[in-house]
Amino acid sequence: MEKVKQKDLILYSCLIILGLAAPYLFSAFKVQLTYLCVLIVLAMTWNLQGGEMGYNTFGNILFYGLGMYLTASVQVGMFFPLAEWTESGGEKTFVHTTAQYFQGIGVGLLVSAIVPAVIAGAIGYAILGLRGHYFAICTLGLGIAAGEIAGGIEIIGAGQGFTTPPFPAEIVDTEARGKFFYFLSFALLVGTFIFVKYIYGSRFRLILNAIRDNEDKAEAMGIQTMKYKIVGWMCSAFFCGLAGGIMGGLIGYIDSTDVAFDGREMGVFMVLMAILGGKGTLWGPVIGATLFHFFKEGLWTLILGWQYVALGVLIVVIVVYFPEGLMGWLREKYPERFGEVIDEKDRKAQVELK
Amino acid sequence: MNKIAKLFVTFISAITLALVSFTSSFAKVDGEYIVLGSAISLTGKYSSNGVHTQNGYNMAVDRINKMGGVEVQGKKYKFEIIYYDDESNPKRAAQLAERLIKQDGVHYMLGPYSSGLTKAIAPVTEKYKIPMVEANGASRSLFTKGYKYLFAVLSPANQYLEVAIDLAVEKNGGKGVKIAQAFEQDAFSQDVRLGILDAAKRTGSEIIIDDKLPKELNDMAATLAKVKAVKPDVLVVSGHTKGALTAIRQISEMKVDVPMLAMTHCDAAKLSKQHGKKSEFALCASQWHKNLSYKDKFFGSGKKYAKDFQKEFGYDPPYQSAESSAALLVFKDAFERANSFDRDAVRDALVDTEMQTFYGNIKFGPGGQNVAKPMILFQVRCKGDDCENRVVAPTKWASDKFYHPIPKWSERS
Repeated sequence: MEKVKQKDLILYSCLIILGLAAPYLFSAFKVQLTYLCVLIVLAMTWNLQGGEMGYNTFGNILFYGLGMYLTASVQVGMFFPLAEWTESGGEKTFVHTTAQYFQGIGVGLLVSAIVPAVIAGAIGYAILGLRGHYFAICTLGLGIAAGEIAGGIEIIGAGQGFTTPPFPAEIVDTEARGKFFYFLSFALLVGTFIFVKYIYGSRFRLILNAIRDNEDKAEAMGIQTMKYKIVGWMCSAFFCGLAGGIMGGLIGYIDSTDVAFDGREMGVFMVLMAILGGKGTLWGPVIGATLFHFFKEGLWTLILGWQYVALGVLIVVIVVYFPEGLMGWLREKYPERFGEVIDEKDRKAQVELK
Repeated sequence: MNKIAKLFVTFISAITLALVSFTSSFAKVDGEYIVLGSAISLTGKYSSNGVHTQNGYNMAVDRINKMGGVEVQGKKYKFEIIYYDDESNPKRAAQLAERLIKQDGVHYMLGPYSSGLTKAIAPVTEKYKIPMVEANGASRSLFTKGYKYLFAVLSPANQYLEVAIDLAVEKNGGKGVKIAQAFEQDAFSQDVRLGILDAAKRTGSEIIIDDKLPKELNDMAATLAKVKAVKPDVLVVSGHTKGALTAIRQISEMKVDVPMLAMTHCDAAKLSKQHGKKSEFALCASQWHKNLSYKDKFFGSGKKYAKDFQKEFGYDPPYQSAESSAALLVFKDAFERANSFDRDAVRDALVDTEMQTFYGNIKFGPGGQNVAKPMILFQVRCKGDDCENRVVAPTKWASDKFYHPIPKWSERS
């Protein structure tokens, strides 16, 4: 046991060193690396819901979008009148000093983690009684509704969109912005991973799995499933909100349906990535998101105009050939590497019985 | 779990190696080519206008290259454009702009289609001090931010339909009119709306319906039902191509009678072809019309441009294509005047641009918008089943008189 842990330690420190060195090694790819971190976080948090708990949600995009608007609004609202900012498109009339910018984004991110979590709790209380397809469809509606509502609220820019504060001009280094957002998202990724890893070793995960495998039985065992479902969703919302906040700052321009509550893209991607890697596993979403991102960045420009057709084919291939995702497929092929012991005698005996 | 982790590490290191070997930066000027970059909407809701834009760019690149290219320091260069598909999504557009600049080494950018996407890209080009000449981002808020590297060959969006309100007031004997309006929830249309609000205030007109239309709009029956009930003097609709098509389709289906109908994007939507007589009398704002009398040595007149464009792409050029072609003429002119590939020198040359193209005069204001060219209005008119866009305002180029009011549906054959 001790030995395994030591190996793990080496692996994790390697990954962290790689993560810290990445923006210097691949300076030109900083933005894509930042996206990668955020995508992994989204896939991992979706996996808590869809993979571990068996509640397929399309609603996590709600928390992502909320986080985006909240971070930007707080960052502006702390120092300037928000309505005037969005009215004028900001920038020219109001300029954040360096200190204001970082204070704003710090407080903004804090708010963007807490508020979505609270909202997830409230919504969860209302709709987590739904199961299966009903829950999926209901959450699909949440994201769409949020986009339309945000598109009508004047104070956050409505249809005009919301230009987030520009990176402080006093910092002359043009690379600084890229580095700042990369390290922010990398920190979020590490935090999320540690948290999910912790959950994987806890009773909480077993309860989530029990809910997935047979909710009625779990309830009969005396587990207050509702409570755990809500807490599970709140955890997802917490990290989704943070991811959204970081993305808002990075993109610099928030549009209600295309950037923030982007259910058609991000909302679908997070599900796809988790399924591609293998839902219900720790590494699955990480691998899925990484593969997906490389596929997207590498191939999409080669097949200009046809990328969504290719994406459709990819989805079909995944569902048909890898229904359990890459991790599930590997697990079936090399069960011993996953620590599953197969008793050959027993297996043969069973085959003969048939 | 551990073995899998190992697999993962192998995977990561493989990619690392691949990336390291791939990190080669292309030059801004590659041999005899000046490389421009553009993220453009080839898929998604702006795809039809994205293609109009791309066709406009390509047409100008071909023409300029064929006619000798760009002469800088005595050497002839040709234009080349790297395109990416931004999927009509601002998030993607910003990311691609970054990619064009950082990975493809592009030093000069052409704009995307739509104000929203331009808004997303402008902060990136500004950050890296990359001059961008854009032809399809008209939102006023683009020009109030003090961007130094953004240049637009078009007039700002709030000017699109202001003239239409003035016309309506004029027809009403100088008294204010009752306006019904419906605008898509996006940066461009909302700016057109601001222009109408200003015009209404100025002329003492009253806005009696002020509706918002969703993006991806396919239905505005609710607004039209209200219009039927309250009978405004003017109905204003703006929502890109889909907005124009939806409005005409439903107005004719529901037989909505309104004395004046003002819209945007009629020519991009090919209204007069797609809806024929149903679209007759619609009044449309446009940046350009082929009948205008501007000229340049590359494309000749607007009519010549339209003919060549028709030959090359098989349809009449909407103004989106014309203004996109003009963007390249601006770049060529700036490179030659700067006589250098230094970004700041090119930027300074762009500031001093003062030229005439087939598309119109171009001179940039302090915010980067084109201040030398007025908007025009045309009206769809039909002879038999053959419908055409005729310029009705401003009077300098008007080929036809403005027809007012629109006859009732019961009187139309």
